[in-house]
Amino acid sequence: MWNVSGVRPLAPLGAALLAACAGNGAGLDANGQPIGAGGAPPPPLTADFKSIQDDILTPICTHCHSGAAAPEGLELDAAHSYALLVGVPSNEDPGRLRVKPGSPDASYLVLKLEGSPGIVGAQMPFGAPALPQATIDVVRQWITNGAPPAATGSTAAVGSAAVASPDSTSFAVTAISPRDHSRLSGPPPRQIVVAFSHEVDASLLNETTLRLEIVAADGAPPVALSARLAEGNPSVVLLTPQRALGPGGYRLILRGSGGGGLADVNAQSLDVDYRSEFTVQGAP
Amino acid sequence: MSARLAPLACFSLAFGWLLAAASAHAEPYLALTQGAKCSQCHVNPTGGGLRNAFGDVFAQTQLPARHIDTGTDIWAGQIARFLALGGDLRFDGSVQHVPHTRTLDGFQMQQTRVYLAASVIPDRLLVYVDEQVAPGGALNREAWGMLWSADHSWYLKGGQMYLPFGLRLQDQTALVRQASGISMATPDQGVEVGWLKRHWDGQLAVSNGTAGGAATTSGKQTSAQLAFVEPSWRLGAAVNYNGAAAEGSRRAAGVFGGLKTGPVVWLGEADLIDDRSLGNGGVKMLATLAEGDWAIARGHNLKITAEYLDPNRRVPHDQQTRWSLLYELTPVQFVQLRAGVRYSDGIPQLASEHTRLYFLELHGFF
Repeated sequence: MWNVSGVRPLAPLGAALLAACAGNGAGLDANGQPIGAGGAPPPPLTADFKSIQDDILTPICTHCHSGAAAPEGLELDAAHSYALLVGVPSNEDPGRLRVKPGSPDASYLVLKLEGSPGIVGAQMPFGAPALPQATIDVVRQWITNGAPPAATGSTAAVGSAAVASPDSTSFAVTAISPRDHSRLSGPPPRQIVVAFSHEVDASLLNETTLRLEIVAADGAPPVALSARLAEGNPSVVLLTPQRALGPGGYRLILRGSGGGGLADVNAQSLDVDYRSEFTVQGAP
Repeated sequence: MSARLAPLACFSLAFGWLLAAASAHAEPYLALTQGAKCSQCHVNPTGGGLRNAFGDVFAQTQLPARHIDTGTDIWAGQIARFLALGGDLRFDGSVQHVPHTRTLDGFQMQQTRVYLAASVIPDRLLVYVDEQVAPGGALNREAWGMLWSADHSWYLKGGQMYLPFGLRLQDQTALVRQASGISMATPDQGVEVGWLKRHWDGQLAVSNGTAGGAATTSGKQTSAQLAFVEPSWRLGAAVNYNGAAAEGSRRAAGVFGGLKTGPVVWLGEADLIDDRSLGNGGVKMLATLAEGDWAIARGHNLKITAEYLDPNRRVPHDQQTRWSLLYELTPVQFVQLRAGVRYSDGIPQLASEHTRLYFLELHGFF
């Protein structure tokens, strides 16, 4: 028996819902933004990394994800974001890349923005309303396009005394995570991320050019590392310690001087040795 | 009635009419089928998470196509006099296709959650934890204490909790849940006052507005909803204001309801969202959901949903839709199989808005 007394107003609502259709996109550009919008609005969000950095990461994400205390070591300011996002495994879910070029659905960044059921922790932006799906779709489109870097360089020197400011041609370190002189109070890092200004010659990644020493442990063997280039981001080297890093100080040495030092794919050497130190703090 | 069924029958009868009013999932349509409030079956008065004893019995006797007789060994969630345990596991295999991209397919543990409740003062004071243990590391969804009034018409809850706003859907990716930003994926820390009197069901919550994170100095989030529940229909309204973001506030208002027409239950929700934290004068969104659930036979449910999202009401021709068709089979108690397709459509310019998802899900619950 049907019982509809008192609920007739719902019927037209239901009909309207069922009759709704997707937009035909008329008057919108390739990113779903109005074409030639008047007035003085900010530049429309587009599916390139500079726009995503300028319109999403910098104004929204860097409220938390910046500086040495950035959550999960993920600094999303213009100097670090691309290197730490593209092809880099997530700390929360190491089985997923933060951004997997070509695969937005497999990119942890998208899952976090959309609040997908499989994520660890809260939906992003943390402490703020979720981004509109149209905005997330722009990020998706950028990833679908292969997650290319910004057309004009958005990288800059990191705030580390050990890292030089690269010019447009020199081969240099542009970002290291964990930062130099950082103190890590959470779980020890599963990986160390080193970003360079150019594509790295992977054949030069070995125990001679990459070394993780234990500070104040003279004579102790270095921590064994495995090294590989980030997927789709060959300017970034991912270093994975082969054992959990216990409390204490660590020094990462990137050898760029002498024969066999780190170099880019055009055989341009680093020329100098880089040192970066961080401390893993024990549980309180 | 066989002698082996007698203990279960007695157990059921002991709960009288409440048994018939129970539900078992965070699925509002089940509450509609029984003309009940969420609190009839969940320890959380706003639904979702651990089922109470009535819900556990209902899940074993009324939901499945076939009940496997366990004699006197009947799971009712009680593991000790004052402790109750429950859980949910969702594992699926899916194929997702987006135009111009590689088709994704694979198996995925969607979630495994464990619920624990301690009735430290029986019927009055409850301490509750909802912990997601997979995938990834452990993640706390809810952790709160709740004090009931003596007649159970009022309660005060404090801790981390799901916020009251609209239909508490199992599908956290529903457009109304995404657009409103309030779902079971975004619990928040605060306090909630609830009022359940006769046909009325209302909540008022004040929380940090940071989805479980640390409080900000900008402001707080206030959520309120009120629903009128009849045996064959219900109608509610909800409002939300979040002033926690320094960039600007976010406001949402919605209406939701349900209607039972024979074996079919209809659900609907429409939300207006005004997000002023995004600059440019803010963005106004409209999200709607219509759902029909047809109880074909005991243990068999066919669900169809139609969803609509206008992500920016000032921009024409940018709307999105999503259609879902799901078949839910509960062959025996505690086990559900769900097979479904979801078609998403949007503007032609964005391939990512044209998703085709096919999935088969195993849902275990107790």
